Amino acid sequence: MKNACSKKNAPNPLQQKVYNILNPFEEFKTFQFHKMEIPLDQIVQSTEVVMDQIRLGYERLLEEEAKELVWMVQYNTIIKAYEVAEKYIKEIDYSAEDIEDFCFALESPHKIPYLIPGPAGIYISALCNYAKEEEIVLKLSELKTEINLIGFRLPKGKRLMVEGDTGDFTGIGLEGGELEVEGNAKNWTGAGMRSGKILVKKNIGLHTGEWMMGGEIYVGGRVRGLGNIVEGKVYERDKLVYPGKVRYPNPYY
Amino acid sequence: MNDRKVLVVEKNGYQKQVMAIYQFISDHLYFNRPDIEIKGEPYNSAILLSLLTGLTKGKELIIGEPGLGKTTSAEFICSLAYQFPLGVIWGSEVSGHPEQTEEKIIGRPDLGKLNRGEEDVVWTNFSQMPVKIVDEINRLPETKQSMILDGVDRGNWEYLNEMIINDEYCLFATANYQDGGTNTLIAPLVDRFDVIVESRYPGANLSFLIGKSHGKDHILRHPKYEKDLYRVLKSKIAHQKKIPKMEEICNAFGEYVQETLGVKPLKREDRDRIRTEMESLDLDTDASAFARMLLAELSFCDRYGQKRVVENCEEGCHYTGYLCRQIKNCASNRLPTSIKLFSQGLAWLLGDSEIDIEHVKAVMPFTLSHRVQWKDEVLSQKERAKRDDPFQIFLAKEAVKTVSQRYREQSDHLKDALAVGSKIFQGESLEPLEGDHPIYTEIKKDIRHRRNH
Amino acid sequence: MEEKRLQALQALIEEIWPRLKRKHLYPEIPIPKIGKVHDPLDEGIEKNDPAFRGVGLEMKDKQMTINPAFLSTLNGKMTEENLIEALLDHGITHYTFCPWDFQTHLTLYAEAKKVMGDKESAKQAANYFIDVIADTHCVKRRATEIPELHRNLKKGAIEEVIASLYQRIWGIDLGISPSKKGNDEVVRRLSRIPYLDRSRWPESIRKFARSLKPLLILEQKEKEARGGKGESNPQGKHDLNHYSYEEIDQGLRDYAQKTMGLSEFKDVVEDFSAELKEMGYGIEGGMGRGRGAPIDADVLFYMKLAENYSIPLKKIPLEEAGTLHPHSHSPWEVGSPFQDIDIWTSFGKIMPGITQIWKKKEGKGRGKIEGAPDCLIIIDSSGSMINPRKNLSYAVLGAACVTNAYLRNDSKVAVYNFSDAPMGGRDVLDFTANREEVYRVLCKYFGGGTALDLEDIMPMIKGKKEMDLFIITDMKITNLETLIGFFGKIQNRITAVHIGENPYASRFEKAVEKRKNINIFKVKKKEDIPHIVLGSIREYFNPMSRRR
Repeated sequence: MKNACSKKNAPNPLQQKVYNILNPFEEFKTFQFHKMEIPLDQIVQSTEVVMDQIRLGYERLLEEEAKELVWMVQYNTIIKAYEVAEKYIKEIDYSAEDIEDFCFALESPHKIPYLIPGPAGIYISALCNYAKEEEIVLKLSELKTEINLIGFRLPKGKRLMVEGDTGDFTGIGLEGGELEVEGNAKNWTGAGMRSGKILVKKNIGLHTGEWMMGGEIYVGGRVRGLGNIVEGKVYERDKLVYPGKVRYPNPYY
Repeated sequence: MNDRKVLVVEKNGYQKQVMAIYQFISDHLYFNRPDIEIKGEPYNSAILLSLLTGLTKGKELIIGEPGLGKTTSAEFICSLAYQFPLGVIWGSEVSGHPEQTEEKIIGRPDLGKLNRGEEDVVWTNFSQMPVKIVDEINRLPETKQSMILDGVDRGNWEYLNEMIINDEYCLFATANYQDGGTNTLIAPLVDRFDVIVESRYPGANLSFLIGKSHGKDHILRHPKYEKDLYRVLKSKIAHQKKIPKMEEICNAFGEYVQETLGVKPLKREDRDRIRTEMESLDLDTDASAFARMLLAELSFCDRYGQKRVVENCEEGCHYTGYLCRQIKNCASNRLPTSIKLFSQGLAWLLGDSEIDIEHVKAVMPFTLSHRVQWKDEVLSQKERAKRDDPFQIFLAKEAVKTVSQRYREQSDHLKDALAVGSKIFQGESLEPLEGDHPIYTEIKKDIRHRRNH
Repeated sequence: MEEKRLQALQALIEEIWPRLKRKHLYPEIPIPKIGKVHDPLDEGIEKNDPAFRGVGLEMKDKQMTINPAFLSTLNGKMTEENLIEALLDHGITHYTFCPWDFQTHLTLYAEAKKVMGDKESAKQAANYFIDVIADTHCVKRRATEIPELHRNLKKGAIEEVIASLYQRIWGIDLGISPSKKGNDEVVRRLSRIPYLDRSRWPESIRKFARSLKPLLILEQKEKEARGGKGESNPQGKHDLNHYSYEEIDQGLRDYAQKTMGLSEFKDVVEDFSAELKEMGYGIEGGMGRGRGAPIDADVLFYMKLAENYSIPLKKIPLEEAGTLHPHSHSPWEVGSPFQDIDIWTSFGKIMPGITQIWKKKEGKGRGKIEGAPDCLIIIDSSGSMINPRKNLSYAVLGAACVTNAYLRNDSKVAVYNFSDAPMGGRDVLDFTANREEVYRVLCKYFGGGTALDLEDIMPMIKGKKEMDLFIITDMKITNLETLIGFFGKIQNRITAVHIGENPYASRFEKAVEKRKNINIFKVKKKEDIPHIVLGSIREYFNPMSRRR
C-alpha cells in the first residue's frame, strides 16, 4: 500500500519531459495579427449569409414539394409550392440584388445542386413579391436557362424588370404588379392574371393570356398565339389584338 | 534576444572589409558580370556565394563549362579570406580523377617509420588546411567523394587510427557538366553541399580582357611565405601546434597583401568575430514563415505522409498546384540549415539587423537547386525556356518565385496560423487555422502530436 | 531646371523604393524610373489645360515609369512623395496580386466578354475590374495613399461610380457626393462583389461587367462621338506590354490547358491578335515571320495544349565498351586476390590498411548519336471524327504531342491526313521540321468518307527503315484490308490508336496481333490519347528498346 502511494507521488519522468518539449512555433509567440477590416468584408460576409439562407429555403422547398426531383406544373402544385416558399422567405432579410445572385447561383451545380425550373421560378417570384424594394431589376441575360413562372402573383405596387428571356408561365396570376421582360417570353404568359401589366419587349409564345381575368399584356414583337382570355387586353406592337379578331395560333410561325 | 543584437557591428566594420575583398576580386582577379540583384545592388553570384561559403564554413559546389574560372574563383576567395598564398592553396587541392586514393587525399603512413614497424601518419595539406578545394569532384569515384564530404561534415580526418580535427574549414568543389568522363554526383552526396553556383562565361569583352591580363594571380603569391607554410605543414609536430604557426605566417602574408594591393584579408580572429555577429542575426517572421512554406511544399504528401522518391503522385490530388506535385524527392534537413546559414551571412554582409525575405529569396535557389529532383514532365516543359542560368538553378529560381507569390497572398494568415500554433503549444485551447496550403496541414500535424502528449 | 527636377524625383523614388519593396514583400521588379510617358490621348493638349488627364504610370515588361507631367497636375493637392507612392503601390499590386500573370488576364477578359459581347468594352470592363482589385487589395493589406490619389483625380462618369464604390467598400470619404439614383444602384451592386477572393474572380468579373454595362456602353458611344478618343487611365494601361514574351507564351499554354475549349481560346487569341503581333508574338517565334501573317488561333491552341504534354529530350546513351580497365582503388582485405594489388599505392607493403587493390570497370563512352527516327503521322479526318477547328479533337492533340516529341529530338515529321483519299479528301505533308506546317495539316478536316490511298503513303515510307508510324483513327476505314496488308509488309514501329469499339477495330486487332512491331491501343476515353502516344514514344526513345 505504502509503495503504491509513493509510486503515485513520484514525478513521472515522461511528464516532466513534456514541459520541455520543443515548440516549433516559438518565434511566432509574440506575433499579433491586426486584421484590417474594411466595409467590403462585412458586405461580402452578410451577402454570403443571406445567400445561404435563400439557398436553404429553396432546398427545403424542393424537399417538400419536389420529391425525387419531379414537379408537375398544375394549379394546386403551384399554389402549394408558393405557400411553402412564402413560409421560408419571410424569415430572411434580403435585398433585390440577392434575388439576382440567387438566379445565377441556380446555374452553378456546386452551389445549388438542383435546378428545377418550376419551383425555382415560384421561389424567385416569392422573393420578388416579398422584397422590400418596390422596383426590382433582374439582369438575367447571361443565364443559360430560362426560368419559368417568374412574376407569379406580382402584387400591386411592385415593378419587376427582367433583362433577358423568360420561360413559360411568365407573370401568371399577376395581382396588379408591373412585369417587364426585355427579351422573349415563352408560352402561357400572363395566364390567370387578375390585374396589372406585363410588357414583353420581344416575342411571346402560345397560350398567351390563358384564363386571363384582367390587366394588360404588351408585346413589342410577335405573339405566337393567344389563349382563352376571359378579360383584359393584349397588344401586339401597339396594336390591340384582344379584344379584337381572334387569332388562332399559326403553326408555321 | 536583444543582447545578441547588440553584438552586430555597424556597417563600417567588417562588412566594409569583406566588401572590399569582393570588389578587389571582381575588379582584378575574377572578371565577370553581375547576375543577381539584392536590395537594389548588383552582385556576381559566384564571388558572393563563394565569399559567404568561406565566411560561414560552408560547402559550395561550383559548376560550369571548362575554363570558366571555377577553380580560380575559389582559390582567390580562399587566399583573401584565409590569408593563404596561392601557391599553398594549389598544393593542397585534390584533383578529381578515378585514381585518387585515400593516401593522396587524407594522409599516408610515414614510410620510414612503417619500415621500422611503427605507425605514424603524414597528413596531406588538404586535410590540414582550413580551405579545401576539390577540383572536378564528379570525376572521383563515389567512395572518395563520400570520404571527403564525410570528413568536411564532421571536420575531422582519420587515417590509421589517428585523427586530426579541423576547427575551421570550408569546402569548394568544382564540377563540369555531365560528360563522357564523369561519374554522377549521387543525391546523398550532392545534398551535403550548402550551395551550388555557376561560374559563367563573362562575355566576349571580359573574356578578351582575361586573355590580356594573363598571369594576374601572381599578385597573390609569395614564395617565401609559401615555403614557410609548406615547412610547417610538412613538419612532424602535432596538428594543433601547427595552427598558430600557420596563422602567424598567414598574418604576415595578409600584411604583405594589404601593403602591396591595398586590400586587407581576414585574420582568424576577424573570421571568428564575423561568425559570432552572423549567428546573432535571426530570421524575421516573414522570412521564417516563407521558408516554412517552401519546405512544406517540398516535403508534403497528403496521400503518403511525406514525399518519397519511390512513390508517385496520384491523379486528382488536391495539392496538384504545389511544388510537391512537381518533384520526386523529399527536402532534406540540410536544406533549412543551408538557407539559414547563407541568409545569415548575406544579411550580415549587407549590414541588416535581421534576416528578411529578400535575403532568404536571394540564397534559396542556390541552396535548393541541387537538392531537388524534378519530375520528367516539369523538365520537358521548361528545358527549352529562355534563361540565363543553368537549367537546375533556373528551375529553382522559378520555384522560389512561385512560392513567393503564394506567400504574398496569404502571409498574414500564415503568420497568424503559426502564432496560433505557438499558443496551442503553450497550452491554450484554440483551434488551428484552416488553409489550403500544405503548411497548414503540417501545423495541424505538429499540434496534434503535441496534444497527444 | 527640368533635368534637375527629374533627378530630384528619381532620388525620391530611390529613397522610398526600399520601403515600398518591403511593404509588398520584395516583388521581383526593378526600381521604377521617372520619364516621359507617351499617351496619344493627350496629344495636342497642354498639361495646364483642364482637359489634360495624363497617364501617371506606365508599366512595360515589369519596368514602371512615372510621368513627371502627371505629377505636376496634382501639385498642391498631394505631396509628390505620397503621389508617387500611391502610383507605385498600384503598379506593384498588378504584378504581385492582380492579374499577376497573363493567364489570369486572359481569363478575366474572356469572362468579361461573355457579358459585354464586344472586344473593346470587354477590355474596358476587365481594366476597371483589375484596378478595383489592385486598389482594394492595397487599401486592405497595406498602408497606402491610394485613397488620397482617388480623392484628387479628375473623374469621368465611370470613374465617379468607381470612386463611389471605393467610398462604400473602403469606408473612406473620397469627397464623392451622393450621386444619381441610377448610379447608386450600380454602386450597390458593385459593392457586393468579393474582389479579394481570387477563386471567385471569374464569377465576380461577370457580375461587375453586368452592373457596369450600361455605363460602359454609354462611354463607348461617347468615345465614338469623340472620334475614337477615349480617356487615359492615370494609373496606367493594362495591355500586353506588362508581360514578357515568355510570360505570354506560358500564359497561352496555361489558358489552353485550363479551358480545354477551342472556341474560347480562339476567341481570346483573335481579340488579342493585333497586340500579340505588335509584340512580335507569332506562333513560332515572332520576329522575322512577318507581322502581316495572321495568327492561326486553332493551330496555336493545339500547339499550346500539346506543350503541356511532353517528354524530356532523349539523352545520348552511355554505352559500355565491354573491356575492363583499372579504374580506382579500394582497400585490400585478407583473402582478396593478389593479382589486382597496386604495389605503388601500397608503398610496397602487403598488409591490411595499407595495401590497395585496383577496382576494374567496364569502359564507358558515348554511344553512337543515333537520334530519334523520323515519324509519319496518319490521321483520320473523316466525318466520324471531330472537326478540330470546331471542337477540341483529342486525336489531333495526340498527333500534336507526337509531333512535338519527334521535332524536339531533331527528327522530321510527315503527315498524311485522310478522309476519302481516292476522291481527293487528303492532305500530304512530306517530312519537315517546320512545326507550324505540320500543325496546319493536322488541323485540316475533310469530314467525308474514310479510305486511305496507299500510293500516297508508299513514297514517304520508301527507303526509311528507321521511321516510326503513328495512326490515329476510329478504324471505320472502307479499305481496311488494304491497310492491314500494307502493315503486314513493313517492319517499321507502328502505334495504332483507335477510338471506340467496332467490328473494324476488332478485325484490325486480330489481323495484326502477331506482329511485334505493331502496338494497338483501344481508347475508351479520348482524353487518354495524348498519354498513350507519349507512352509509346517513351518506350521508343528508351535506348534499351532500340537495342532490342
